[in-house]
Amino acid sequence: MTRQEIAERVIKTTARELHLNTSDIKESDNFAMELGADSLKSIELVAAFEEDFDLSVNEEEALQVQSVGGAIDFFDSIINKK
Amino acid sequence: MLNQSQISALIQQGCNSSDWSNVILAEQCEPDRFRNVTFIGNVSVGNNNGTIQSDGIDLPCGIYNATLANCTVGNGVRISNIGSVVSNCTINDNVLIENVASLVGETNASCGNGVELDVVNEGGGRGTLLINQMTSQTAYLQALVRHNMAFTKNLSALIERKAKDNCLGTSIGENARIVHCGAIKNVNIGPFATIHGSQNLENGTILSCPEHPTEVGEAVFAKSFIISEGAKIDSGAILDKVFVGQAVKLGKQFSAENSMFFANCEGFHGEAVSLFAGPFTVTHHKSTLLIAGLFSFFNAGSGSNQSNHMYKLGPVHQGVFERGCKTGSFSYVLLESHIGAFSVVIGKHFTNINAPNLPFSYIHEEDGASKVIPGMNLFSVGTVRDGEKWPKRDNRKSLIKKDLIIFDVFSPYTVEKMLLGRNELIALSESTPKEKAFVNYGGLQINRLLLRKGAKYYAMAIARYLNDKVCSRLSELLEQENDWEKTTASLKPQSQLQRTNEWTDISGLLVPREKLAELEEKVVSGSISSFDELLNELQSFYDGYKDYEWQYVYEAFRKEYQIELESITKEQALKSIDEWQKAANSLHSMILEDSKREFGNFAKIGYGIDQPEEETDHEFASVRGSAETNGVVQKISKELIEIQERYQQFTNLVITNK
Repeated sequence: MTRQEIAERVIKTTARELHLNTSDIKESDNFAMELGADSLKSIELVAAFEEDFDLSVNEEEALQVQSVGGAIDFFDSIINKK
Repeated sequence: MLNQSQISALIQQGCNSSDWSNVILAEQCEPDRFRNVTFIGNVSVGNNNGTIQSDGIDLPCGIYNATLANCTVGNGVRISNIGSVVSNCTINDNVLIENVASLVGETNASCGNGVELDVVNEGGGRGTLLINQMTSQTAYLQALVRHNMAFTKNLSALIERKAKDNCLGTSIGENARIVHCGAIKNVNIGPFATIHGSQNLENGTILSCPEHPTEVGEAVFAKSFIISEGAKIDSGAILDKVFVGQAVKLGKQFSAENSMFFANCEGFHGEAVSLFAGPFTVTHHKSTLLIAGLFSFFNAGSGSNQSNHMYKLGPVHQGVFERGCKTGSFSYVLLESHIGAFSVVIGKHFTNINAPNLPFSYIHEEDGASKVIPGMNLFSVGTVRDGEKWPKRDNRKSLIKKDLIIFDVFSPYTVEKMLLGRNELIALSESTPKEKAFVNYGGLQINRLLLRKGAKYYAMAIARYLNDKVCSRLSELLEQENDWEKTTASLKPQSQLQRTNEWTDISGLLVPREKLAELEEKVVSGSISSFDELLNELQSFYDGYKDYEWQYVYEAFRKEYQIELESITKEQALKSIDEWQKAANSLHSMILEDSKREFGNFAKIGYGIDQPEEETDHEFASVRGSAETNGVVQKISKELIEIQERYQQFTNLVITNK
């Protein structure tokens, strides 16, 4: 899976879970500050990413991710084993 | 007996009595220290030649501007400026009573003992009798264990007997100080208590001791009450049918009726009705109502509210918030509800929540629906802080600490609930199709994606607890014994519970359910026939907790890992420490991340007003510090290192053992 494909999926999942339009989400967006994802929503987002990418993540590492770009890099590193 | 010259002197000083033969003064009592005193009935007065401090000034002992009726007054007492009368009272040594409207005792006064409180259910049915010796456990037994009529009847009888034994008339304990107060009627006041500026006290007992004097302060209005050692009630608190436990603080216009507050509770500003506030229940804010519920280790956010009245059969609905719960600002919970231990409730909930098997959860509101994230509070830094703060904030200084408190956040009680919750979540996950976004659970909705997540969180906490306990015990034994087989043989539990997995929380005291059933049987059969025997039995539960806990761990470990600890191999022990290390490391890392978030960008909102970013950062750091300097964050970071150290030490201990 290319980084572009991962990015598209991360943005699509984020939009669905946070009730946003995909066009409104940028890689630089911080989940909490710009997208309004509180700590409760963050848990749901991680679970949604896991299902959409069909993988299980390390919880403590996932919770360190702050931005959309960070999430894309995080899944890119897992999927493409960077 | 007074002689004629003494009587003449007293009369000259404005004193009078209809029968001076009933007035007895101690041999060294100075008659000139009686001014404007009316003696009615039998009055005896001890030595009065010392001084006593009042409002920072040493004033002479004696009696001034007062009427005393049927009183025994000890040595070194000053009674001054009594509005109407001090009657039927035994006043012990070194007591100061000054500027008090009245201090009246009636010969048959029970001083609050025996008054019935309608706790938990405002409509009745859980009546609990006030007695001086009440503990959070005995109150729980009377209020909450109502399934066995014979038990209820016998328990009530032995509590009633104790209440009657407590009715010994009205007395003021040595070194008590009662100053600038309104009317006080049928109130027993213990030694070293300070009553300062109370408005009206009626039918109550204020227990106190030199180790932890009790304070009742300004504008307190209390009727039918018992206040325990070390409590502080002040600033306009209003109490009606209330038990106040040791080291409890109530004030700032807090009002309570038909309520009980046990060790270290705090109530300010708000209101309590039919509240069973177990140890460490805290409510500090205005507009907070705690009603018709069982709470302990609880923290109420401002404006927390529950409703117990559905305009049908009256206010008969009850709530159970298991230990460690919190409610957010302006939260609302519809009763009946049963919230799992250490859960956080945010928002308003109009469904009846029944989720005792989902401890450590976040119950929140989204678009009007009540939702739950199971296990999320397991990695909240708040839970860690709470678990550490309660033992440190046990302010009881009395020699006897009445409420028996097991502080453990992770215990057979909470771990067993997590085991049940984990299994339920896994079953739900397996039976829920992917197309379904939410599943319903006990009046709550769970995001389908969080079923496995919650189960995973619980599994981590269970693994951490069980393997921690096993490895800790193995470590202790291995340090004393270098023979593996002998070591593992002594892992067999000493206690002999039949149902190790069934536990209950008797308002602070965690107990195997079968021990509670045994207690019930003993009360029914009469082998526990006095209140003191009941207290001894409860104390034995407290003393036996570690043994019972170990038997729980032993059995739960066997079920979870199919390993008999008596025959655990070194390889299995190493695997156990590995399991612990992984779970502890994960949970601790998550807690660390949670604590660091408190210093993230969103936390800086509102700092450095109208300043550029750099100044904002500086201002935030000067007020809040940083993740690098914060004590809690540093402590968690240090503990992460200690997890690795312990892992290494245990591994070495096992490997080097014969």
